[in-house]
This record gives sequence, structure tokens and C-alpha cells, in this order.
Amino acid sequence: MSKKIIILFFLFFSLLSYKVVASEADQVNTDSEDFETTTIEDEIYDPFEPVNRAIFSFNNVADRIVLEPIAKGYKKLPSPIQSGFNNFLSNLRTPLVVVNQLLQGQAENAFQSSGRFVVNSTVGVFGLFDVAEKIGLEEKEEDYGQTLATWGVGDGFYIVLPLFGPSNLRDTSGMVLTMLTDPINAYAVSEGEAWLVPMRTAVNAVDTRSQIIDEVNALRDNSVDYYAAVRSSYYQNRKAAINNVDDSELTPLPLISIEFE
Amino acid sequence: MKLKLIVIFFIIFFSKNLYSGETSEWLKREIDIILEAYKNQNLSNETRFLLIEKTINNNFAGTGIAKFVAGEAWKKSDKNTKKIYIDNFKRHLALNIASMMQGYSDQTYELTKSKYDQKNQVTLIDMEIFSDTGSVVVTWRVKESKDRFFVIDLIVADISLVVTKRSEFNSMLKKVDNDLSKFNEVLFDQNQISYEKITE
Repeated sequence: MSKKIIILFFLFFSLLSYKVVASEADQVNTDSEDFETTTIEDEIYDPFEPVNRAIFSFNNVADRIVLEPIAKGYKKLPSPIQSGFNNFLSNLRTPLVVVNQLLQGQAENAFQSSGRFVVNSTVGVFGLFDVAEKIGLEEKEEDYGQTLATWGVGDGFYIVLPLFGPSNLRDTSGMVLTMLTDPINAYAVSEGEAWLVPMRTAVNAVDTRSQIIDEVNALRDNSVDYYAAVRSSYYQNRKAAINNVDDSELTPLPLISIEFE
Repeated sequence: MKLKLIVIFFIIFFSKNLYSGETSEWLKREIDIILEAYKNQNLSNETRFLLIEKTINNNFAGTGIAKFVAGEAWKKSDKNTKKIYIDNFKRHLALNIASMMQGYSDQTYELTKSKYDQKNQVTLIDMEIFSDTGSVVVTWRVKESKDRFFVIDLIVADISLVVTKRSEFNSMLKKVDNDLSKFNEVLFDQNQISYEKITE
């Protein structure tokens, strides 16, 4: 009999626990200073903010006048052409992704990415079609900035690069390393086709921008401080990329109380 | 005894799934209201936005988010300033969400994954939005209170809307010495600009 009571009590308590705990959560006294997310703001070291803001304004104008209109035009191309460009550019990045995965000790991912490169470069017609995805070889991005972070290199200060946009000291170093070691770029230069390097960068920028037209516009049109919003977004995005964790699990949870007026 | 324990385990297990299923159904209904408003050509831009704003205010933990993003400035402010700030913030939030959802209105979506985070008593729901060239995942963080659900955050491409707003507000509040009444003027002006854009 006593066992039955215990089981019933346990069952009753467990089924109601969501409601009970949820109403307890409402009692949370929100003291803004306690939130875990404040660490994100503290982590952003921006000693050159005035200079960064000036470069940011320049980039913003360049984006409105040049990049956004081109990206909008690109978006009007038939979707197979857009996908083809996107797949082709992504495939060109894969050799360096493999290098970075190896440098981070991700042997299995490096093996998968190598497989992707082989399959997409051959069956996928020079990377125009992402055949590898269909056979379960998922795309995973890694770069030198992420590798340096994995090795314990800190962010350094925040920088806004002319035309390239938000970055930090570590990621800028990573970007320089990418430029210096990219085998595709090196091949183009050795063949006397150095013009292909900036062309590839420009097409990459248009392709990436075309995928975030609505998100960028929503942020730009509705921010009280667009610069700070982009800076925060950049850090959150990089943090998630470095940790290779599901975004929803990694992003700090704001302890928000529900209040009725 | 073993059988009873197994039965209890299954009841608990399925009750969790039922809970997150119920949350997903609620979320889908509310998202559809917003997306349908964009598809309805009979509505004027202003009426459309007001309808969307009402839906957002009913379903977001607006006051809680407003307090959170105000940071230190909240504590120093008087009751009236806080009230004006909350009203301004709710409109600001609605303008942000409406503007974002406008971009997704001609695309199809699916709620692909739902998970209950026991530790924080929050349900995470993934919404995958499909376009011709790919898809984007938006994660909704939903909390239950007094038998109602409230969205407490949105995450797009690893970027939390609430964390971004807090950082953005924090930067602007520093410029006005954490004076919420001065910040209210900035926020009000920004809302006017955004409102004109979305209703033009």
C-alpha cells in the first residue's frame, strides 16, 4: 500500500513539475546585472571604436551603393544558377577547411570534407552540384580564425576592416593566413591569372550578401545603434562557429521573467 | 513493481513530448497569423502592421525582455520613465520582428525540431524556412506561464535577438549616461523611422 502511495505521489509530482517549476520561474527577480549574457558585452574589446565606426559608416555606404544592389540583382538569377555559384565557391574553400579540421584534431570531419571535395569535384561537375550532401556528407566550415581560437588564442581587439567588415585581431590574422595558404589562389597566381583572386573574393561577397538581404535590412532599419548590433552579432556568430555547438544550446539564455501588467 | 515503474517512465516521457508538441502547435498558429497578414493584399500596410504588432505583443514576453535589455539603466529609473520605455520597447520589438518576418512571408516553413530544456524550463523550437536556394533556421525560445506561452528570444544564424538588442541598447545608453528618459527619446525617434518604413 505504501509503495502505491509513493508511486502515485511520484507520478503526480512529476506530471505537475512543469507547471510548478514554471510558475517558480515567474517569481525570478530580474536583476539585469546577474545575467550571464553580460559577459558577452564585456568580452568585446573595442578600443578603436571611433575609427571602427568611421570605417563601418564607409562600408555601410559601399554596401548600399554597390554590394546590396548587385546582391539583389544576383538574387533574381534562376535559383539553379545561384545554387551552382554557391556550391562552386564552397567547394573551392574545402581544401582549406580540411587543413583547419586537421589542425583542430577533427580527423573524422576532415575525412568527410575530403570525401565531399572528391565527390563534388567529380560527380558534382567541378563543385557546381552538391552531390555529397545527398549521400550524407555534410558541409562543415572551419577557418584559421577558428583554429587559432581552438589553440587558445584570444579574440584580441575588435576591428572593422574596410570592405571586409567586422573582425577581430585573431580572425584578421586567420584571414591573412587564408589568403597566403589557399591552394586555389596560389595556383591561379602561379598560372599568371592573379586577377582571379580578387574576382573570387568579390563573387563570394555577393553570394554571401544575397543570402542575408532581409536579415541585414531588418537589422539596419530597426537598430538604435547599428554598429553595436553588428558587433554583437559578429561575436555571437563567431563564438558559435568556434565551439561547433548547436546554436540554440550555445547561445546564452537570457533569464527573462514573464510579467503581466 | 518493475512494470509499474516502466509505465510511469513512459507516462513521464510522453508528457514531455506532448508538452513541446502543444507549444509547437501554438507557435505555428501565431506565426501563421503574421505570415497570412503579409499575404493578405486587402490590408493596408498600416493595418497589417498593427495586426502583427498585436499578435507579437500578445505572444512575446515584452516587459521582461525590455527590462533585460535595459541593463543597469532600469534600476535607476522612475516608474513613469519605465512605463514609457516599456511601451517604446514593445513597439520596437514588434517593428523588428515584423520586419524580419516580412522577408520570410513569400517562403514556406516547417517547425522541424522541438526540445524542452528542463534546466531552464524553456522550449526550443526550430523553424526551417525554405527558399529556392536553401534554407535558414530560426530557433524560438518559448516559456510557459499561467497556462500561456510566451516567446522570450529568437535565434537566427546563432545570433540571439535579445542579446543583440541588449548589446545595442547598452552602447546607446552609455552615450546618455544610462538615463532611460533620454534613451526613450532616441528609441521613440527610431521607432518613428522604422514605422514609416514598414508602413510606406
